[in-house]
Amino acid sequence: MTNVAAVISVSDLHKSYGDVEAVNGVSFEVARGEVFGLLGPNGAGKTTTIEILEGLNNSDAGTVSVLGLDPARDNAKLKERIGVQLQTAALYPNLTVVELINVFRSFYSHSRPTEELISEFGLEERRTGLTKELSGGQRQRLSVALAMVNDPELIFLDEPTTGLDPQARRSLWDRVTALKEDGRTVVMTTHYMEEAEQLCDRVAIMDHGRILESGTVSEVVRSHFKDRTVRFRTRAGLDDARLASLRNVTRVAQEVDETVLYTTDVPATIVDLERVAEEVGASGLDVAVKRPTLEDVFLELTGRALRD
Amino acid sequence: MRRFNRGLLPLTIANIKSYYRDRAALFWTIAFPVIFVILFGSIFSGGPTTFNVGWVDQDQSSASAQLREGFAAVGLLELKDATQADALAQMQDGTLDAVIVVPAGLGAAMTTSTPEGTTAVPFQLTLYTDPSKQSASGTIQQVVGQVVGGINQTLSGKPPALAVQAQPIQTENLTSAAYFVPSILAMALMQLGVFAAIPLVAQREKQILKRLGATPLARSTLVGSNVFTRLLIAVVQTMIIIGIGVLLFGVSVLQPLAVAALVVLGAVTFVSIGYVIASYARTEDSANTLASVVQFPLMFLSGIFFPIAFMPQWLQPVAAFLPLTYLGDALRQTMVGGAAYAPLYVDVLVLAGWLIVSFLISARFFRWQ
Repeated sequence: MTNVAAVISVSDLHKSYGDVEAVNGVSFEVARGEVFGLLGPNGAGKTTTIEILEGLNNSDAGTVSVLGLDPARDNAKLKERIGVQLQTAALYPNLTVVELINVFRSFYSHSRPTEELISEFGLEERRTGLTKELSGGQRQRLSVALAMVNDPELIFLDEPTTGLDPQARRSLWDRVTALKEDGRTVVMTTHYMEEAEQLCDRVAIMDHGRILESGTVSEVVRSHFKDRTVRFRTRAGLDDARLASLRNVTRVAQEVDETVLYTTDVPATIVDLERVAEEVGASGLDVAVKRPTLEDVFLELTGRALRD
Repeated sequence: MRRFNRGLLPLTIANIKSYYRDRAALFWTIAFPVIFVILFGSIFSGGPTTFNVGWVDQDQSSASAQLREGFAAVGLLELKDATQADALAQMQDGTLDAVIVVPAGLGAAMTTSTPEGTTAVPFQLTLYTDPSKQSASGTIQQVVGQVVGGINQTLSGKPPALAVQAQPIQTENLTSAAYFVPSILAMALMQLGVFAAIPLVAQREKQILKRLGATPLARSTLVGSNVFTRLLIAVVQTMIIIGIGVLLFGVSVLQPLAVAALVVLGAVTFVSIGYVIASYARTEDSANTLASVVQFPLMFLSGIFFPIAFMPQWLQPVAAFLPLTYLGDALRQTMVGGAAYAPLYVDVLVLAGWLIVSFLISARFFRWQ
């Protein structure tokens, strides 16, 4: 039962290295024009999964279809149509930006003009600079530009913003958004929840070679945390039992210097909280309402922070 | 084939650009051999310009007299007539540097023409040298080899015209430069080769190979381009080393085409050996270490700095196994007509054998990831 619009369709994928099951029964689909995020801690099996899709690695079992092709069998054909950016951006340190783009263009039967790529990725000032002299952000943009050399329908980005400063990260986000607006499909991995929430139409959370959860960001969050949270600075006199008896509170949790109330009705809970606070004479609670984030889901599912 | 060609030229140009922008690589493959040639040239050019050689003529024919003229015409050898016993005694007290013995039967051998379809049995001269005088002995061996080679070329199956005077003997060639210029060329090709695959190991380590693997570029193109780049560097090295030999030390090249063919064969053979090294090294550092470990015994046990005959007996079988022995020998024979360690076809066969075996090993064991 394969979705016609699916650009990628993976079913029951397995791959092990010796005794280690790197990928252990992974299935998912990516629709055309979608930005799909694969999230997970290091060693979760993301990279192995993506490498199998890219035709860089073979699977042990399961079926994979990428752009209607089998990456293992139609390897050369597939590589003409996909763009790949790898985590390590080191590439021919002694070539200039223009030279490097031109070398990559020569590998494909069809490629985009060099100047077009240079202006699209804001590398005009560094066209004749050696790649080893580029800043982290420039190098990362070049790395994505190289993935775009063959005008691919499908682009794989492996942690494209790791190690970048916030400004460089935002500029790369703009590039990814532009790819999506062009109608291209993007599959990316990331360590940044904010990035996934910002860019991805759908995400899948992986750990120990399995997909634990997938869907749109809000679906994933809602399926784990139906409730929103009311947070305030902890004050003496407000014990947990008392807080738990407030209207609509489902759970009370203590974090580093905050108390967190999970609630199904935020306004009612806040009214109650303020009343109780007044009774015990506590002031300056600094009440904040937050919806749970992907980070919270991730912590709950894997027991680790994403950036570990 | 179309897939192989795609990207080959641009990638090769990219490799060459990367190479000449890398100062360290440039130093080791170009400047280092140049320094070596000049250094060796200066050290050995300072030695005595003539050698005292005992001439023991047991044949006493017109052929042997002409042979003596041939040796005398070289100018480097001061011939002293003596009996074998006297000559050897004088060599022992150091008055003579070497002794050449012409056994009886030379004249007869030269006047008998070889019947059609059979090969003449080479007539043997005996050369005694003093192993304690290494550079003198090396040079004398070269001179004798060259003179005899010259005579053989003139004879070439024709009637007994032992026209030694008519044969232009390259006197300026007959210095120690005639020994060390081809040797250093062989050494440079060896070094270029054993370090050849290190860029590939570095690219594997930095995941560049993986990135290239995600493009339609064929692996054969990648390797082809790497080998092609090394061959071009080998050509440049060869021109520089021979150029210095010709300009500064008066060496001339006897058989340019054979030398060119041997340079290519030697470069490709050692590049294959470099790929074997790369197959067993995980990181760039370990590949460098391994290549150095391979390079040093090759350098010192292959007759590069002194003839193999001067090596201790028990080490000589090692030399007979090493590929650099045969590349140096073949280059010496074809460049300056040096005395042969092995016949030229044996040199070529041994090199080809090393090439095939290393190619098969690296094709089987080279890891791409």
